[in-house]
Amino acid sequence: MNHAGPVSARRLRLLVTLSVILVFVFLIRLIDFQIVRAESINAESYEKRAVARTVPAVRGDILDANGNILATTVYRYDINAAPAIVRPVERKIDGIDQVVSVESVAAELARILEIDVAELLPKLIGTSHYVNLKKRVDAETHRQIVELEIPWIFADPHHDRLYPNGAVAGNLTGFVGTDGVALAGIERQFNACLAGVDGKETFEKGVDGIKIPSSTVVLQEAKPGRNVILTIDADLQYQAQQVLASEVRRLNADWATAVVIEVETGRIVLAAEAPSVDPNDPGKSPEAERGARVFQFAFEPGSTMKAITAATAIDTGYGTVNTRVRAPDSMRVFDHVINDSYSHPPTNWTMTGVLRFSSNVGTIKFAEKIPAKTRYEYMEAFGFGKPTAVAFEGETRGVLNHHSEWDGVTNYTTMFGQALSVSPVQMASAYQTLANEGVRLNPILVAGCQDADGNLTAVPKSDPTQVVSPSTANDVMYMMEKIVEQGGIGQATAVAGYRSAGKTGTAEIKEGSGYGQYYAASFYGMAPVDNPKYAMGVMIYKPKKVWTNSMAAAAGYQKILSQVLLANRVPPSTGTSPDLPTDWK
Amino acid sequence: MKTLNRTRARGPVVMIIVMGFLAISMLHLLLTIMTSQSVYELSDLKREKRELDTTSQIIAEEVASLSSQQNLLNTAAKLGMVANSNPVFLKLEDQSVLGKPKPALGTASQSLNLVANSAMIDTKPAKQQAAPASQAQPQPLPQVASVSAIPASPTR
Repeated sequence: MNHAGPVSARRLRLLVTLSVILVFVFLIRLIDFQIVRAESINAESYEKRAVARTVPAVRGDILDANGNILATTVYRYDINAAPAIVRPVERKIDGIDQVVSVESVAAELARILEIDVAELLPKLIGTSHYVNLKKRVDAETHRQIVELEIPWIFADPHHDRLYPNGAVAGNLTGFVGTDGVALAGIERQFNACLAGVDGKETFEKGVDGIKIPSSTVVLQEAKPGRNVILTIDADLQYQAQQVLASEVRRLNADWATAVVIEVETGRIVLAAEAPSVDPNDPGKSPEAERGARVFQFAFEPGSTMKAITAATAIDTGYGTVNTRVRAPDSMRVFDHVINDSYSHPPTNWTMTGVLRFSSNVGTIKFAEKIPAKTRYEYMEAFGFGKPTAVAFEGETRGVLNHHSEWDGVTNYTTMFGQALSVSPVQMASAYQTLANEGVRLNPILVAGCQDADGNLTAVPKSDPTQVVSPSTANDVMYMMEKIVEQGGIGQATAVAGYRSAGKTGTAEIKEGSGYGQYYAASFYGMAPVDNPKYAMGVMIYKPKKVWTNSMAAAAGYQKILSQVLLANRVPPSTGTSPDLPTDWK
Repeated sequence: MKTLNRTRARGPVVMIIVMGFLAISMLHLLLTIMTSQSVYELSDLKREKRELDTTSQIIAEEVASLSSQQNLLNTAAKLGMVANSNPVFLKLEDQSVLGKPKPALGTASQSLNLVANSAMIDTKPAKQQAAPASQAQPQPLPQVASVSAIPASPTR
């Protein structure tokens, strides 16, 4: 017994010593893993299982003046399958476990995705883990797919742009591509406001590639974009587009535009055209119809320019509303003959009469003494020859050559709107000047950029410009009122209960080195004359079914003007127009 | 005897330490279970939020479609309404009539919508489809499924 004791104690000590050494070795190793190399091991491990991804920021909305959404961001889903794991689907139907064949499941998918089952089935065969079945389906379709509970069907969400009112103001909003890049219009011009800042996050995945639940770490929150607030009224924009589309069809015209500007603010109430692009599907529209002709197209204005010439003559003292001229229906200027649009004997007209009967020769008679430089400077002051402050992308400046470049004939033809070109919005802006007692306000299309808290960063306004005196502007407006009161075409633009003024324009269209057989017919004006609220213009391009070209724009102008006045509850006019004689004896 | 006494004296201390370890282990286990439970709850709530967001988007798109000008015009036309561009006013001061009352000239063809809108939803099927979806139990959104099953998808 005594002998066995020390041996057992030795063995015990040996065992303890070995255990201590082993523990010590493990401890060293543990310290090495957990402390010395912990950071690098963790980093290496995390790198193997972590996936980083960009969280796209939600793009801001485009709203009209009343807060109606013209463009917004929604989720769309790419529906994908993993052919490698395609197999019959187990489902509980009426409480009984059943197996649904791949063919039956494919038929269900094809019905929901609205694709041919014969096209879908081959995609489900193979060893791939990814095949796209349909791109960008809506949330409703996506939900129906989810409800099928097919374990080998997946969906990738994407932001997509939705324009709930389709082509209403589509020419203004522009559109974005399928990759989310703004391609046209306000979308592109105000991309800095609309686009937010993308976020970043990581998540971890296991060896099988499956995401580890709750492993998402947000590195940077996505910052949503802000909203762009337009000045237009979407309802009136729609009404105008309806009217224009109807007129284009009735007149067999190529296209038409309409612009309405609020006289006292310069805000553009509508800038319509027909046909107009549906930004939900811009590919359906020809390239020429994907822009905004109101800003981007320049045309020879024709007789609507006579109002500007008359304003220049009165403001510079070269004439009054009663300036007398005797005008034949044609006159020779250098080696050219300038004609009126209709035959008439030499007639004694006042300046009012010249505008009322839209005589080219009469216009020359009262304006020929005005120096070319002066007329050029007035045209510049009215906003011609340069883009408006809207600075719409691709906006035209029109063509207004320097007066030093005008030859003898051009000096005369510019008086009645030839040898120069303007955009529809430029001419509407000039008429806003006349309606606003000679004060030109730069047109405004975008009120500003609004953040989520409702704070609006307004687009800077430019200073108003006094182009002509208030009395000059009113005189021209009163002369144009006679056109609406007495003119055969002008009367067709009248809205009962309101005094309105306006001027016809029938411009020839350049084709090659000469002019083609079709015209750009327009009517620009303002209403009500006793308290002008709106300046507007309608232009019909190449109408082919009219008995007189200048008549083409009248019906559309009247319909749009009546809608604008009624929708904005403008009180009917009071009083009568001033007595301005149109001829003299 | 001394050794026996020391052993006896250590007994309660060892017991307290063991009990302490057990208590801490139990508490740790409890906290782990509660945390896990909360993680699942959080996951469920996130899933439910996504589901509600989807429902909200579906309804918002339907409302936007119904309130689009094109749909309103089509609905008005179905009711026989046509636009009249000849307004007439009654002046209260002298009871005079401004304008000449004329019947609206709109015809069926003029009342048709002419402004394209490919975002318009066929509302009847949408309603029919929406009904079972709203009654259905919350389903895991494909956002989760896509992430969990196709590694390439989340980074596409």
